[in-house]
Amino acid sequence: MRINSNLAKLAAVALSVAYTGLAHAELNVFACEPEYAALTKELAPTASIYSATTALQDPHQVQARPSLIAKMRQADLVVCAGADLEIGWLPMLQMKSANANVRSTDQGLFFAADQIETLDKLASVDRSMGDVHAKGNPHLHFDPTRLLKVATALTAKMVQLDPAGAADYQKSLADFSTRWQAAIPRWEEQAKGLQGKKVIAYHSSFKYLFNWIGIEQVADLEPKPGLAPTSGHLASLLSRAEQGDILAVIVASYQDERGAKWLGEKANLPVVMLPMSVGGNDSSKDLFSLYDSVISLLNGVK
Amino acid sequence: MTVLNTRMSLVALACALVSPTLLAEDSSLTNPAISAVLNGYYQTGERPLAESPDGFGLGETELAMSANIDDMFYGKVTAVVESHDGETELNLEEAFIQTMAMPAGFSIRGGRFLSDIGYLNNQHLHTDAFTDRPIVYRAFLGGHYFDDGVRLNYVAPTDLYWTMGIEAFKGDSLRAADEHGEREFKKVGIYTLYSKIGGDIGDNSSWQAGLSYLRNENGQMTAHEEGDGHDEATEDGEAGHSHAASYTGKNTYGADFVYKWAPNGNYKYQNLTLSGEYYRVSDFTPVDLHPEDAPSQDYHQGWYLSSVYQFTPSWSAGLRYGEVDTQELHDDHFHGQKLKESEVTLAWHSSHFSTVRFQYTHQKGTNFDGIEDDNIFTIQYIMSLGAHGAHQF
Repeated sequence: MRINSNLAKLAAVALSVAYTGLAHAELNVFACEPEYAALTKELAPTASIYSATTALQDPHQVQARPSLIAKMRQADLVVCAGADLEIGWLPMLQMKSANANVRSTDQGLFFAADQIETLDKLASVDRSMGDVHAKGNPHLHFDPTRLLKVATALTAKMVQLDPAGAADYQKSLADFSTRWQAAIPRWEEQAKGLQGKKVIAYHSSFKYLFNWIGIEQVADLEPKPGLAPTSGHLASLLSRAEQGDILAVIVASYQDERGAKWLGEKANLPVVMLPMSVGGNDSSKDLFSLYDSVISLLNGVK
Repeated sequence: MTVLNTRMSLVALACALVSPTLLAEDSSLTNPAISAVLNGYYQTGERPLAESPDGFGLGETELAMSANIDDMFYGKVTAVVESHDGETELNLEEAFIQTMAMPAGFSIRGGRFLSDIGYLNNQHLHTDAFTDRPIVYRAFLGGHYFDDGVRLNYVAPTDLYWTMGIEAFKGDSLRAADEHGEREFKKVGIYTLYSKIGGDIGDNSSWQAGLSYLRNENGQMTAHEEGDGHDEATEDGEAGHSHAASYTGKNTYGADFVYKWAPNGNYKYQNLTLSGEYYRVSDFTPVDLHPEDAPSQDYHQGWYLSSVYQFTPSWSAGLRYGEVDTQELHDDHFHGQKLKESEVTLAWHSSHFSTVRFQYTHQKGTNFDGIEDDNIFTIQYIMSLGAHGAHQF
């Protein structure tokens, strides 16, 4: 009988461990881009988080590859930029991964662009305009105020999916918000000298950053969104640059530097490669250091 | 082949395109997703068992519409408009529903759809890097095998991608020849089994490998008193246009792989795709064949290896080699046949949505439809408009 009662004790312990394990089951999060993996890490430090892309990969052109299907199959929550940025691959991953939990934004699917007002919304879209998004510019993670709104909504989503962890998620959000709100005026102070400066940049990747700190993008290295720079277009940019009011040529970490370098050499302009996301350069290890790095790189050319 | 075989008017075509747009909830063209693929070419010769005759021609003009039906089902219709000998035909290539909310990684697809055997078969022709499917597909699967049936698929909850599935189809297009019209074919002719695994190697590379088995209840030949048993298409009087497979057998085994590479995994500027498949079709000889009439080789086989390199966002180049090694029944005995195809292609992509392709094919045949040493040049455009479809790996 003694053995049996020991067994019963053991079973009870095992059960309670299993139950606790369930109650505090860590969310398995699939992030489409590294900035959302980083944001999730701030808001749910113990969650298991996988980023589908790196800051060196163009999120417009990602392969719906087997590893991503396997990861999405196991996810409780999928966090993406939205506004059709992932339209070329996310629907295929949802179809192939057969994971009912992450199919709809009512459940485990979260789009950052749904939480805020995007810039550059279009009433109508024609492909002669290039690869544009009717739902507006999806590269919204360089607007600190919008990102904070996204953080709040993402926390609510995690609470919905994992009510048992609500207190922890709220605590993490409060902590993140305090630190983030303290950092915003500091960044704005650092970026003061950049206000009103003009740049030529690749794509509208940094639209929100420029909008926030008051930089004007006067020309785009792409002749049309999604199309690579052509020599004719670069020549027209050169004549624009010769007006002498341009601070720098800016490219993101996943964009080809060749067109920018050519223009930089001809027009004697500095070329700055900014990290598009966390991991885009050695110093961008989280969202805070990403912002620090971007502002200090821009200040470096002033 | 049981396709909707109707003459099409331009009005009907326009309706097919326009009316769903009116049903869309918003103007963003994303619900439902509607797209069309335009495809035209000029070529100096005809590849055997392919669907495109020489000279000027239109390839498959696709009209597709898809959307989530409700929170349980997804549906898709793909109509293909083809012109052959002055006739315009509307065929349904896909018309299926798929479950989206089954638990535990299961999903069911029913209706007309592309079988998931092999690597290329479940992809649409317009995403191919060459103008025609490899000869092994044209010989054993009628180019690409789609049919009316049902599929059960499972994805395992593992970090290594692992999926497996089972399908059952009507199988009309993969029936063996029945020149006397006396054969009683099974109503469910095709059963398939497949499994695929895949993953990443660092940030730069991804891979997938698969095995397939296709059971064809109606694939074995019956004894012929006379004539040419191999070419069903010819017997239909529709040479060059049947989707039917030309070489069938009771059992088909396949193996496939694909490997993709891009610097830092960034596919925008440069990327490389290597792929290959092998198929063996066995048990094709008539059951009552006299032992002395048995073929020297009791299986058909074929394979291809393909490599496509996109070296700038606007240009890509490809190399493909493929061959089939088959047995053809003449009167009451078999002859060995062989065809080897070497192909080079160069494509210009003005954007993600348009491609102009030049292709050169060299064919070397042994006892294969009179082909000995042929050269074919093709120039082709493939352009898509409407919704941006998500592509498979």
